[in-house]
Amino acid sequence: MPTLKIDGKEVWVEPGTNVLEAAKKLGIEIPHYCYHPALKVAGSCRMCLVEIEGMPKLQISCHTKAADGMVVWTNTEKVRKARQAVLEFLLVDHPLDCPVCDQAGECYLQIYYMEHGLYKSRLRENKIKKEKAKPIGKHIILDQERCILCSRCVRFTREVTKTFELGIFNRGNRSVVDLYPGISELQNRYQGNLADICPVGALTDRNFRFQTRVWYLQQAKSICPGCSRGCNIEVDYNISREYKAGGRRIPRIRPRHNPKVNGYWMCDDGRYGYKYVDALDRILLPRRLDEGEPVELSWPAAYTMAADLLSEATKEGADKVGVLLSAKMTNEELFAARKLFSSLGVSRIGFRVEPKEPGYEDDLLIKADKNPNTKGAELLELGLGAGKSDVSALLDAAEAGEVDTVVIFNEDLSKSSEAERAEAVLPKLGRVIYVGTNWNATAAKADLVLPMATFVEQEGTFTNFEGRVQRFWKAVEPLGESRTGLSILAGLATALGLEPVSENAEEVFAELAEQVPAFFRGSATRNLVSTGNWLRARLGRR
Amino acid sequence: MSVEFSEKALEQLRELLGHYPDRQAAVIPALHLAQEEFGYITQEVEDYVAKLLEIPATDVHQVFTFYTMFRDRPVGKYHIKVCESVACHIMGSTNVLDYLRKKLGIDVGQTTPDGRFTLTTVECLGACEMAPMMQVNDDFYGPLDEKKLDEILESLE
Ligand code: SF4
Ligand code: SF4
Ligand code: FES
Repeated sequence: MPTLKIDGKEVWVEPGTNVLEAAKKLGIEIPHYCYHPALKVAGSCRMCLVEIEGMPKLQISCHTKAADGMVVWTNTEKVRKARQAVLEFLLVDHPLDCPVCDQAGECYLQIYYMEHGLYKSRLRENKIKKEKAKPIGKHIILDQERCILCSRCVRFTREVTKTFELGIFNRGNRSVVDLYPGISELQNRYQGNLADICPVGALTDRNFRFQTRVWYLQQAKSICPGCSRGCNIEVDYNISREYKAGGRRIPRIRPRHNPKVNGYWMCDDGRYGYKYVDALDRILLPRRLDEGEPVELSWPAAYTMAADLLSEATKEGADKVGVLLSAKMTNEELFAARKLFSSLGVSRIGFRVEPKEPGYEDDLLIKADKNPNTKGAELLELGLGAGKSDVSALLDAAEAGEVDTVVIFNEDLSKSSEAERAEAVLPKLGRVIYVGTNWNATAAKADLVLPMATFVEQEGTFTNFEGRVQRFWKAVEPLGESRTGLSILAGLATALGLEPVSENAEEVFAELAEQVPAFFRGSATRNLVSTGNWLRARLGRR
Repeated sequence: MSVEFSEKALEQLRELLGHYPDRQAAVIPALHLAQEEFGYITQEVEDYVAKLLEIPATDVHQVFTFYTMFRDRPVGKYHIKVCESVACHIMGSTNVLDYLRKKLGIDVGQTTPDGRFTLTTVECLGACEMAPMMQVNDDFYGPLDEKKLDEILESLE
């Protein structure tokens, strides 16, 4: 293992590590633009220059391998001067866009200028004009004048998506990043990452453009609920300035680095698929249908009504009740729901909803199963026996008259492979309770609707397709009168006079880890609390 | 224009490919070949070259736009390139250019209506001993003065 000295501190690294990463290990941040840990080294921006004893010239730390006995200085007079000069060159043709640029606040031209630049402009010439505000894809806008030609975006389309849409064309100060002229837009499903990796404001996100300044945003660690991969994400939320972003509390989400799951990336479906959390069709109040007319309810009234409906049904026999949970619910919610309905004697507890069309899948991140927690539901041994669709099994039972009451959690059956049959069968049932986040065809016809919180409004865990249990945290309060799944289950338990259910996800997880052998060996709670990141389900692995 | 190499050009390309460790490295000579074949490079030609080399068309376009000797539009029968770099400039390239402009009745970047001459300027061609000099198609001429230019233009039919 090479051991080297950086700014007087000793560090050892894996062979092959570059000096920039070695310094990172010591907490020393060497300024850089073109280097990105997930992309091949380009060595083109020259911002990462450092002094290495015994070498006559400054070296780029991104492309210099750490060697045994190396002595590196990252902050000498010589280095600082070089950085300043590099910045001055990069800024020669840079427009004065900061006041209207979305990158402002997280732009590495601004950041490094404040740290290493601070020179007086010596530019007397006119700046070169290039193309501005050019949409190059469904989600991305290009501003060629702001580009510093670091080629990160070009390498991303070559190495990660392998779609080769972007290149650097022309030369000298006329060089530009652009789409290959033979295509009209980006063709990959991971475009949003381009806005993330562009160190300046040249590639910006059309969804986030002009929505809010980044310094009004706060972050919550979360997990993308878009598919069974469970990419780690950062939810950027704004609650200090409600008038921003058209009232959306969540103007954007971004991938959070997790080398075991998603690396630095996430897909566009996941990145832009969260908008239902602030959509106008959120269910905000409990509601019942009175002769087909909607009547809004308070929570106590709603719990009482739910308890009445369920007790009536179970009086005829607990078999009469079918429950459809959802693989979009957390492990904790699924566990608590299983416990609650089992103690009522209900045994038909399913969760599998087959979509109308099979989901898209690729070999980078995207999985065909568009649910974040199918694995978790399976580990909890939910489901109505074999077969792809618990919906079908429930509808069979309903048609045969075996079931006359159903409780549906957050699944719109009109989007399922059983859409037509569900539309015919559900209205004939005695009682339909819907618990969900947004209005849809299934909720609209339910006798009782309870508003549930979305993933950004609660905490919990999902188990991804590989069996990693990943924790996420709450960003914002539940919208309107909506409540978390656990809180709703707790209310129901009380109204039904059953053993209480905790509203606290950590407590429920601890109980789950105790009782469900598939989950964890040993100190589950402590792990969940301390690392809070991801844990490994047992899954036959030892 | 049907974009396809002649048998001869294909043969040359095969030969070329043998000289390089990978196909990306052969983009420049392949583009030269294409320019000889088709006169200039359109996007169709870039796509064709990319297909021949089995590399992304973006890579061909990056090279094509970097080098000034590749053309994206047709030129006249004689392509006159006047050197404007320091040595030629000191030795009078401005006069050469002015004289050609007047005589041909076109500006830099243009082609005479009869399609015979295209006039462009270039940076140093490495022939400073001939300054001021120019290149017409593949041949160098210099040192130039008005009389010499008259002679050269007359000799080009
Ligand atoms: S657009 Fe951004 S990522 Fe791409 S080369 Fe320019 S500065 Fe780098
Ligand atoms: S791959 Fe799946 S989990 Fe990852 S961002 Fe896309 S939808 Fe979300
Ligand atoms: S980061 Fe090292 S040269 Fe750009």
